[in-house]
Formats: sequence, structure tokens, C-alpha cells
Amino acid sequence: MLSLIIFIPLIAALALLMVSRENTALIKVFGVGAAGASLALSLWLLFSFDVANAEMQFVQTLHWVPALHINYLVGVDGISLWMVVLTAFLGLIAIMFSFTQKKGLRNFVALMLALEAGTLGVFLALDTILFYVFWELMLVPTYFLIGIWGEGRRVYATMKFVIYTLVGSLLMLVAILSLTMTHYGATHDVTFDLRVLTHTHIDPATQMWMFFFFFLAFAIKVPVFPLHSWLPHAYVACPIPALILLTGAMSKTGAYGFLRFCLPLFPDAVESFAPVIGFLAATGMVYGAWIAIAQKDLKALVAYSSISHLGFIVIGIFAHNGTGIEGSVLQMVNHGIIASALFLIVAFIEMRMGTRNLNELRGLSKAMPVLYGSFMLVMLAALGLPGLNGFVGEFMILMGVWTSSMFSGLSGVLVLMGGLSIVFASIYMLYMFQGSMQETSDNLPDGLTDIDRCEFKLILPACLLIILIGLYPKPFIDRITPSVDSLLHLEKTVNLHAGEDNHH
Amino acid sequence: MFASSWLILLFPLLGFIGLSWYGNRISKNLAGLVGCGTVAASFFMTLVTLSNLLFLPPEERVGQVQVLYQWVSAGTFKLNMAILVDPLSVFMFLIVTGVGLVIHIYSMGYMHDDPEYSRFFAYLNLFIFSMLVLVAAADFFFLIVGWALVGLASYLLIGFWREKTSAVLAARKAFVMNVIGDVGMVIAAFAIFESFGTLNFVDVFAAAPGMFRPNDDTMLLITLLLLVGAFAKSAQLPLHTWLPDAMEGPTPVSALIHAATMVTAGVYLVARCHVLYELAPYTMYFIAGVGIITAVFAGSMALVQYDIKRVIAYSTMSQLGYMFLAMGIGVYSLGMFHLMTHAFFKALLFLAAGSVIHSLDGEQDIRKMGGLKNIMPLTHATFLIGALALAGFPLTSGYFSKEAIIMSSYYAEMGNFVFWAIAVLAAGMTAFYIFRVYFYTFVGGLRSPDAHPHESPMIMAVPLVVLAALALLGGVLGPWVDSFLSPVFGHVVEHQHNNALESIALAAGIGGIATAGLLYMVSKDRMSLIKEAMAPLYDLLFHKYYVDEIYDFLIVHPTKAIGAFMEQKVEREGIDYVVDEVGLQVKEVSRGISLWQSGKVRGYALNMVVGMVTILLFVVFM
Repeated sequence: MLSLIIFIPLIAALALLMVSRENTALIKVFGVGAAGASLALSLWLLFSFDVANAEMQFVQTLHWVPALHINYLVGVDGISLWMVVLTAFLGLIAIMFSFTQKKGLRNFVALMLALEAGTLGVFLALDTILFYVFWELMLVPTYFLIGIWGEGRRVYATMKFVIYTLVGSLLMLVAILSLTMTHYGATHDVTFDLRVLTHTHIDPATQMWMFFFFFLAFAIKVPVFPLHSWLPHAYVACPIPALILLTGAMSKTGAYGFLRFCLPLFPDAVESFAPVIGFLAATGMVYGAWIAIAQKDLKALVAYSSISHLGFIVIGIFAHNGTGIEGSVLQMVNHGIIASALFLIVAFIEMRMGTRNLNELRGLSKAMPVLYGSFMLVMLAALGLPGLNGFVGEFMILMGVWTSSMFSGLSGVLVLMGGLSIVFASIYMLYMFQGSMQETSDNLPDGLTDIDRCEFKLILPACLLIILIGLYPKPFIDRITPSVDSLLHLEKTVNLHAGEDNHH
Repeated sequence: MFASSWLILLFPLLGFIGLSWYGNRISKNLAGLVGCGTVAASFFMTLVTLSNLLFLPPEERVGQVQVLYQWVSAGTFKLNMAILVDPLSVFMFLIVTGVGLVIHIYSMGYMHDDPEYSRFFAYLNLFIFSMLVLVAAADFFFLIVGWALVGLASYLLIGFWREKTSAVLAARKAFVMNVIGDVGMVIAAFAIFESFGTLNFVDVFAAAPGMFRPNDDTMLLITLLLLVGAFAKSAQLPLHTWLPDAMEGPTPVSALIHAATMVTAGVYLVARCHVLYELAPYTMYFIAGVGIITAVFAGSMALVQYDIKRVIAYSTMSQLGYMFLAMGIGVYSLGMFHLMTHAFFKALLFLAAGSVIHSLDGEQDIRKMGGLKNIMPLTHATFLIGALALAGFPLTSGYFSKEAIIMSSYYAEMGNFVFWAIAVLAAGMTAFYIFRVYFYTFVGGLRSPDAHPHESPMIMAVPLVVLAALALLGGVLGPWVDSFLSPVFGHVVEHQHNNALESIALAAGIGGIATAGLLYMVSKDRMSLIKEAMAPLYDLLFHKYYVDEIYDFLIVHPTKAIGAFMEQKVEREGIDYVVDEVGLQVKEVSRGISLWQSGKVRGYALNMVVGMVTILLFVVFM
């Protein structure tokens, strides 16, 4: 089941390489078929998921490297469930949108499928080595997607992105190995099974540096301020279909990593670092929003707004209480929907106007009423209008921060910084929306047309979800709650004492 | 029993969805009928709810919560999608749907030639829905939702003529200002949730008196944070600058949103949370102080403006100040009564002004009007009634509500002579500025030769007459409002009478009217003499105390400058540079290291020897 979700896109990607480059019809069938099958399966997963069960479900295991007890081990809980559905959803949209690529369509679609598979794998892997493999697998397609199909300083951007994230992930590999060593020290069992490792007691001093290594890898991926400098370059250079997956799904792998690894494995370290991380995240929220106000390139504006919104997700996770974490998980879904929709809109505008520069855009609303309406809805969700989905997440996150015991007196300040970034969000979003759509312009190109039926289909699901989650978030939250509860009440049963007893 | 009250909210929502989806495909008349019909249905359901409520004995009229479904349950945070039906919310329903209906009908005439007629009605319906959510909410969360949605509707309608740059800018300003208020309320909600573990009005208000002593820090914090939202929405100092600019929107919008309903949301909020405010007497004084200062501050700016809509907008600010004064001194039902009469006469003034503007093809400068008394008799008569009510002329509705607040500002427990004196001063100003507009507009001769004014069509005239009747006679409802709302506020306000004080207040009003008349009668030369003598003061008032300029200088420019600075210095030359530099240094170092890998065996041998000697020394001496 879960393996099919991961491997259908991966196998389709490999199979595509055997299809002729010219045969666009078949390429499209492969792309949509694989991504669609993956989405259909993930929706089936969503409906057969046991809501009340906090444990991993649909677990599949296969021996992979028996000598080292490395297994192919996948499973899903309430947190990863939504990430999988989100990734499969965005995967389909991104691949449908990538058919607008003129150059090298076959390879583009193949790489997109591979990227989707890698991301899905990260969310589903329960074996730490398998997780690492998928983690790196995401990087390869991204490197080529930006490097070959990108724009502007694409080589610089992609090199920076890859090297930056590689530094983090290599440190994570060190931590993954020492984690298993620690467990071996306690039980004389070699295992990479995350479900077992989370119960291992690790002494606080070791926790600190292991946490730091994991944190660095994830923080770069999210990114957390001030480790974000790859993002604007990569996002601006990245072709928009790939960007949908990049911002919608891949940026969530970092936040997911915090939840899956940092919180359960290193509770003491989390407690000591939470105020610092909270402060960095809040700084990133304000900083990203403030810089977004000064942007003229729509793509860069959305990129910086992403930095700001991802800060919310991180701060909610480190609030370390039910409201905050559940808000963060929901906000991951929300941001995936909103940011990808915003990038789609930017692409629609650029395809018609040939520019993304706010100084050159003006008065599009008359010619494009449908785009105007959907742009407005997405923009309002992005600036956190109460009643739409963005606000639900932000409200729960900030409520979690306000009531959190982790930030040692800083909570009030952090919430105020969150408030400031919300005010800034309304400013830059209105700059973007009003600046491009409203007022009048004399030099609109002749024959400027509204988005067509196909393009509307790409943006419509996002619009519906924005309203649905805003009106009725309960079914979404209900699936997250049990897993978050068990995460917060994890007991360290495998401790050093027990290990020593075994030894004697 | 009150489940049908959901329909009050449902109709305008359906109207909004229907009109925004099919608006372009149906005829203008149908769009207008749909827009008005939904609000009429909503008004009818309000009447049904009202009669249901009146059947109950007074003590059972409060706390009727209607749950639709559980909205979320996350950890300790549980919330229902629910509305609260009690006298206060029904009272607000009546004003919103009643005045809203009249203004909808008027709009059918006023907007008749606008190409985007159906979009206008869609937005108006959205506004009615949002405002109903705001006043129907049974908890702080949905209060905030309604709060933000009315802000959105206000934004959409201010910027309705989206081709006009000034309208776009005004809309943005209003939106951002209101988001600041929203953030204050959101944080207040966090503090409430932290203290009470719930956001339900009923539970919070039941628990508060037992948990907190008066002026407890938490209570002060919560009440002040809520006020940020209230002041932003109700255009009180210092968050008022968006309201005059909001007059960029069509005139019915100014009447409905920026006079009769939305801007009173702040007053409603204080009334709704009066249990919390009574636990924070310091905040109450603060409210009364800000209210009274805003009343006189806005009134003074209205003295010298020439844009007919802006004068009325400043007067709205000023009257909202009175309502906050009433809240601050604890006479809630008087504040709500003034809210109601104000909704009548201010909507009337705006619509009558709209009728003038409409017939002069969009002219808003009162210097170019004049002599319309005979050309537009109905508009003239209704405007005069509205002006008299606003000035507090005896026996009009405004007289009863304003006079009661002014008297209470002296006699109420928290009242004092200063509040009373400033309130009287502001009343005098009010009478002066509104009759200044009246004389400029309707008396004398027409000062713009090209104009061809005409009386407005029936569809605009009927709403004017209805509102004029309410503005004239609404005063008799005073005692009913007091007793109807008493289950919510827990007590009936005692009316104080003192002939001397009442006469002074009355004299201030009539004096204001007389002064306006006198100044208008004197010749233009003497007017300019007076203007010159008062030049610095006149400038200060005309430029609205330079508040916009001060905000630009202190907040807007620094924000932009810091944004640009951070992008250039911190982002590009700071963080990004450091990261690139780390990469370059690593590259340099590895180039250095790669020199060792020269491929010459002699070099490797030397390295080996050096290494072995080092290890040897290490082993021997350590």
C-alpha cells in the first residue's frame, strides 16, 4: 500500500526514460497516470486510516541489509498522513502544470516524479537509514530541475542549494549512526527502527550534540533563520512546476523531521534549545515578512513570505504542546496549498505579461476576472484572514506559543513578533495583489485573456480547500491529535540501567 | 426555539455566493432584487427571533447558545460553531438588517448606472453576513472571524472603484489598520483562553467575577488588548486615520458600513464584554477618556472641511466617541441607544448627502453647492431632520440619546465635571459643523453654474423618508431599549435630571446652530478676516492635526527604509555573503590541501616520516 504510493512515481520516472522524447502524449499519460495513482492511493489511505489509533499504521517491512539490520520499513501516523496526501496532491498539480514546459519535457516529468517519490519516501520511512536515503534522493532531481530548466543564476542557485543541504544531511548521517550505537550500548541490539530508538534513553550531554546535528539538517531544509539564504536564490531560479513541489512539499520535510526525530529522541535538548529556536523562528517570521515588503519580483516576494510562514510552523513545533504542534501540522498543509497556489498565479501572470515585476504590472483585473477572484481568495488566505485556512493554523500556533512552558518568559514577545509579521503579511500581500490587479493600465497587451479552463482546474482545488479547512478544520485536526498526544507523552523505557543489567 | 436564527445569517451568505457566481449572467434588476431580498428575509427572521425572545420571561432571555457543529477539538482547545441569541445580539440584528435593508434599497437607485452593479450587491451582502457573524458569535474566536470579515467587506467596498488609485490606497490603509486591531484581539483571545480555558462568552463571563479582583493585571491586559481591536474598528484615537479616507467608497457604503453598523462594532464589543470591563475600572476610565477626546478632536476637524462626506465622517468619529464615553462610565444601554439613533440619523445624513452628490454628478465640495433647498425639496427636508437630530435639537431622536449620555457623564458613578464639560463642548461643535454644511449646501444660490441638479428618483426617496421618520421619532424607543437590554447588562440606568445642566447642554447645541447661521450670513470679506485671524489653528484643523504626516514620518517611512536596508545590508551583504564566503574559504583550503597530493613519491615519503616522528614523540612524552 504505502510502498505503492512511493514506488509508482519512481518506477514511472524510470520507465519514462525509455519513452521517446517526441511522444508527448505518452509522456503526459505516464506523468498524470503515476501521480494520479499515487494521489488516489493516498486518498484511499486517508479514508481507511484509523482515526483513534496513535500508532504507526499500514506498516510494511522487508529485510534490506540484514547484516546491519537495516530494513525497508514504512508506516504512517496522523502526522505523516497529511504530509503524504499533501505531497501526492501537489505532485499531480505540479506535473499537470509542467506540461507547459517546452524544452525536454520527458526528462522534466521524470525528474518531477522522482522528486515526488523521494519526498513521499521521507514522510513514510521509519528506518533511519531508509529515511536518509530518501532524504538524499530528493536532492538529486532538484539539482537538475533547477540547474537545467531554471532561469537567471540557476547554476549558482542550485550549487548553493545542494551544498548547503548536503552539509546538513551529512551531519545528520553521523547522528543517525551514533544514535544506533547508543542504543546498541544500552541493549546490544543493532536497530535502525525509529519506533524502537525513540524509547532509548540518551544522556543529556549526548542529546545536545546529536540534537544539534539533526537540527542543522532540518533547519537548513525548512529553512530556519539565519540558514535561509539558499532559498531566495533557489526559488527565484526554480521553474514553477518544480517550485510547487519544492515549497509545498519539500520544505515540510524539515519541519516533519523536527517532529519525527528531534522532539521524541532528544526531549532534554529540545527543552534547553527551545527558547533560542523559538526566537530564531520568530525573527525569521518578521525578517522574511519585512524583506517581502521591499520586493518587486513577485516570485521573490512569495519566496520571502514563505520564509515568514515557515517560521510559524517551526515555532509551533517547539511550543511543545498539543495546540501548537497540531496547529503546525495543519499549517504545513495550509502553507503547501497556499504557497503553491500563489506560485501558480505568479506563473499565470508571467506567461501572459512576460514579466513578474510589480513596477510593470498594473490593472489586470478587468481582463482577468476569474484570476482576480481566485487570486483574491488565495491572497486573503495567505495573509491569514480569519475564516480561511491560514488563520486556523496561525491562531492555534500562536495560542500554543502563548500557553507554552518552553520559552521561559519569552512567549509574550514571540507572540507579538508573530502579530507584527501578520500585519506585515497584510501589507506585502496587498502590495502584490493590488499592485498587479487593480487600478488601470494603458499598456496591457492586446488579446490578454483570462485563465482558461485547464488552468482554472489547477487552482480550483486549492481554493476549495482554503474554504473547507477554514470552515471545518475538525476532521483534519482529529487525525493529527492522537499521534501528537503520544508524541508528547513518550516514555523512555529503554534506559542505560536496563542495558547494564542485560550486560551482567 | 432559536435554531431558526441561523437563517438570519444564511440568507445574506447565499446572496453573496449567488451574486458573485452568477452576477454577470443575470439582469441588473434581478441582481438588485436578490441583494435586497436576502436582507429583507434576514430582517424578517430577525423579527421572528425578536418575538420569540419577547415571549420568554426576561431572566431566560440571556445565554441562548445555538450550536451547529463542533468546529475543532485540539488538546484543550475546543470550539463549537455556535451563535448566541440574547437581547443584545438581537438588538444589533435589528439595526444591521433593518438599516441595511433600507440602504440596500437606496443603492438600487444610487448605483443604477454602475457597470458592476451585481458585484456591488454581492459585496453588500457579504458585509451584512459578516456583521451578523460578528454580533451573533457566541465566543471570541468567531467574534474575531466576523471582525475580520467585516474588515474585508469594508476593504472591498472602499476599493469598489478599483480603477481609482486613491480608492485602492484608501482600501489598503483601512485593511492594514484593521489588521492591527485584529492582532490585538487575537492576543486578547490567547490571554482569555489561558485564564479561563475557554473562549465561550457564557463561560468566560460566568467565571470572571469569581476569579479576578478589580484591576487585576490580567484583566487590565485582556481589556486593553480587546480595546486595540475596538478602537481600530471604531476609528478612535490613535487608530482613526483610515475612516476619513474610507469615504472613497460609494456613498451607500459610507452610510451602511462607515456610519451605521461596522464602525459601531467596537462599542458592541465593550458592551458584550462589560463583565470583563467592570473588573477593570482603570480601563473604563481610559475608554471614557479616549472617547471624549476623540469626540472633541474629530469635531474640531469637521469644523473646517469642505468635502461633504468627510464632514459627516468626522462627525461619525465624534459620535462614536460619545458612545465610548457612555461605555466608559458604565451606562451601557444609553450607549447602545445612541448607537441606534446614530444609525438612523447618520445613515440618513449620508444618504441625503449621496442624493446631493448623485444629482451633482459626483461633486462633493460644499463650496460648489448651494441653493438646493428649492430644487431638491425632499432631500433638503430629510437632510435637515438628520442635521437636527445630530445636533441634538429637542424632541428629535438624537436629543434623547445624546442628552442622556451628557447628563450621565456628570451623574454616573464614574462621571465627573470634566467629562461633562468636554461633552458639552463637542455637542456645540457638532451643531456648528453640521449646520455649516447645511447652509453651504441648501441655502443661498447654486455656486457651480454648469450643474443641473434634480430631485432623486423614488427608489432613493423612500429610504430617505423612512430614515427621516426614524431619526425624528426614534427617541421614544429610549425606555424600551433600556428595559429590553437590562437582562444583559443586569441593571436599568437611572435617569438624572438637573435643569441647569440640561439647559447649558441644550444652549450649546442651539448656540452652535445659531453661530453657523450667523457666520454664513456675514459677508465673505469678514469670513476671510476671521480665517486670517485664526490662520494657524485653521491650518492645523484643515490638515487634520497632521496625524497622517506624523504616521508617515514615524512609521511608514522607517518601515520601508528598514525593509530596504535589511534586504541590501543584512540579507545580501550579510547572511548571504557569509555563507558564500564559507564556501569559498573551504574551496581555498582544499586547494591548499590538494598541493600535498602532488603525485611525487618523495613528497609522500617525507610526509610519512614527519607523521611517524610526530606519533613517536606523542607516545613517548605523553
